[in-house]
Amino acid sequence: MHEQDQMTPNERLQAFIKGEKMDRILAMPILVSISHRVAGITHREKRASAELQAQSQIDCYKRYGNDLMIIEYGLHGVGTALGSEMNDPEDSLPAIVHHVLQDLKDIDQLDFDKTKKENDPWFAKTLEACEICQEKMGREIPTGVLITGPFTAVSSIYPTENLLRATRKDPASIHRLLRLCTDALKDIYKEYIQRGIIIVMCDPIASGTLLRKSQYIEFVKPYATELMNHIHELGGMCCYHICGNTTKIVMDMVDTGPDMLSIDNLVDLEYVKGQVGKRLPILGNVPPVDVLMLGSRSDIFESVKTCILKGKDSPKGYIVASGCDITQNVPVENIDYMMEAVRKYGRYPIDEN
Amino acid sequence: MDATPLMKINRNNLEGKVKDMAKSKEELLQQLSDCVFEMEDENAADAAKEYIDAGYEALDGVLKGLVDGMNRAGQMYEEEEYFVTDLLVCSDAMYNGLEVLRPHLPLDQDADAVNYKCVIGVVEGDTHDIGKNLVRIMLETAGFEMYDLGRDVSLISFVEKAKEVDAQLICLSTLMTTTMPGMKEVVEMLEKEGLKDKVKVMIGGGPISQAYCDQINADGYAVNAIGAVTLAKELVGMA
Repeated sequence: MHEQDQMTPNERLQAFIKGEKMDRILAMPILVSISHRVAGITHREKRASAELQAQSQIDCYKRYGNDLMIIEYGLHGVGTALGSEMNDPEDSLPAIVHHVLQDLKDIDQLDFDKTKKENDPWFAKTLEACEICQEKMGREIPTGVLITGPFTAVSSIYPTENLLRATRKDPASIHRLLRLCTDALKDIYKEYIQRGIIIVMCDPIASGTLLRKSQYIEFVKPYATELMNHIHELGGMCCYHICGNTTKIVMDMVDTGPDMLSIDNLVDLEYVKGQVGKRLPILGNVPPVDVLMLGSRSDIFESVKTCILKGKDSPKGYIVASGCDITQNVPVENIDYMMEAVRKYGRYPIDEN
Repeated sequence: MDATPLMKINRNNLEGKVKDMAKSKEELLQQLSDCVFEMEDENAADAAKEYIDAGYEALDGVLKGLVDGMNRAGQMYEEEEYFVTDLLVCSDAMYNGLEVLRPHLPLDQDADAVNYKCVIGVVEGDTHDIGKNLVRIMLETAGFEMYDLGRDVSLISFVEKAKEVDAQLICLSTLMTTTMPGMKEVVEMLEKEGLKDKVKVMIGGGPISQAYCDQINADGYAVNAIGAVTLAKELVGMA
C-alpha cells in the first residue's frame, strides 16, 4: 500500500461499491502505454514477456498507488491472431501494417479459432500476465485488461477507412464481421473474467469523431450490449471507454449496460454527470496530452482539482482517471503529481476549496 | 391487363426523351455536384461522361460540378450533419468523376496563375491516415496541388519533397503521441536549411493542439479537415 494512503485499492473499491467511507477518492489513471517507462524497459521488452508486462504494472502501482492495474490485450489482438501484420518498433506501440482481410468477399476464409488462447501466443501471454498480477498483488489491488470492443476489433481485421465506407456501401458484410468478432470476444473475455479480471472495453473506432450517432446505434450498440450481458452472466465487471468526442452517444453507451463509464477529455464531465451520473460511476478525464504530457505540475494539479470538483457529487460516484491511455512520452514524474493532486484534493471529506 | 409492358413503354419513352432533350450546362453541373454531395459514387463517372459528351468545358465540370459538391459536403461536415464516413464516400464520387474529366482538362492553364503546392503525409512511426486523407482531399478541392507521401513517412522526405517541387506548405499528421516529436524535427530541419519562412508547416491529428503547435514553432494547427483549408489558404496567402 502507498505510504500516504490508509486503504488498499481493493478496500477502497469495495467501500466505493458499498457506498461506505473511503480515505480518498479512487484514482485509475490508464497507465498502459507508459508502464514500461516506469519499469525502465523498452516497449518491445515489455510486450515480449508476460512477467515484464505484469512487473510493469506492479512497478506503476508501487510507485503511484493507483487503484487499478491494467494488462494490455489491446486493440489489435483479434486481427493479429487472424493474420493481420504488425510492425515491431523497438520502443513504441506497434501498429498494423497489413490487414488480413482486404476484400469483404473473403470473410469466410477467416479462421476465428485462431483467436483462442491455445492458438494465439499473444492472448496466452496476457492471460499469464494477469495471473502473475493476481498472484502477486491480487489481495491488494484489482487488475483489469484493456481490450478491444466489437467495432475496433473489426478494424483490426479490415482497414478502417474501408470499414467506414462499407458501413454505407455494404452494411451486411460489416454486420457479419461484427457478429464473428462479437462471438470471438465473448470467448476471449471469458478467459479474463475467470481469472477475476475487470474488462476495460475500449472501442476507439466507434468514436463520435468518426461515426455518427445512428451508425453507433446500428453497428456498435447491439454488439456491445450483447458483450455486456455476457460479461455479467459470467459474473464479470466492465468499464467502457470510447475515445474522442462521445457527447452525443453517451446515453447509448450507458444503455449497453457497462458497470462504469470512462470518458475522454473531449467530453465535458459535468455534462456526462448530468446525463448518466444517476445510472453508473463515471471515470475521467484529465487530458493525457495537453495536461499530463505537456503541462506543468501546477497544470496537473489544476486539472485534477477541476475534475474532482465536477465529478465528486455524481450520484453513482466518480473516479479520477485520465481521459485516455497515458503514453510513454508522458514524463513519469507527472503521474506522481497527478496522484499527489488526487491525495490533496480527493481526501475525504472533500474540501470545497 | 399486364402492367409490365406499360412500364416498359413509359421507361423507354422517358429514357428517349431525356436523352434527346439536352440538359443545360447548369443542369449537368448540378448533377455532377449532386453526385458528389449525395454520395452517388457509382453514378459520378456516368454523370461526368454525360457532361463531357454534351461538349462543355472540363474545367467547369471539375470546379463548378465535382468540387462544388465536395465543398457542400465539407460544409455539412462542419455543421455535423455529415461525418467522416460520408466525406469518404463523397470523395470517392469526386475522384470517379475526376478520372473522366481529367483527360479533357486544358494542359496549359493560365500561365500567370500561382500554383500552390503542398506536401502532406503521416509522420514516421504512425500508420493512421484517415485524417491525413481527408485533409488532402479538402485541400485538393480547394485548389492546392497535393503531393501525398502517404503514411509512416521518413521525416527527411517531407523536406526533400518540398524542395523538389518548390512547395509552400507541408502538412504533418499523427494520431500517436509517440510520433509527435517527428513534427518538431521537420520544423527544425526546415530551420536548418533556411527554409522556415518559405515553407509553412501545418500540423494536425488526435493528440495535437494549438499549444503543441506553438511549442514546436509550427505555423499552424487545424482541428479538422475543414479548418485545415481555411488555415492553409491563410498560410500561403491564397485568395
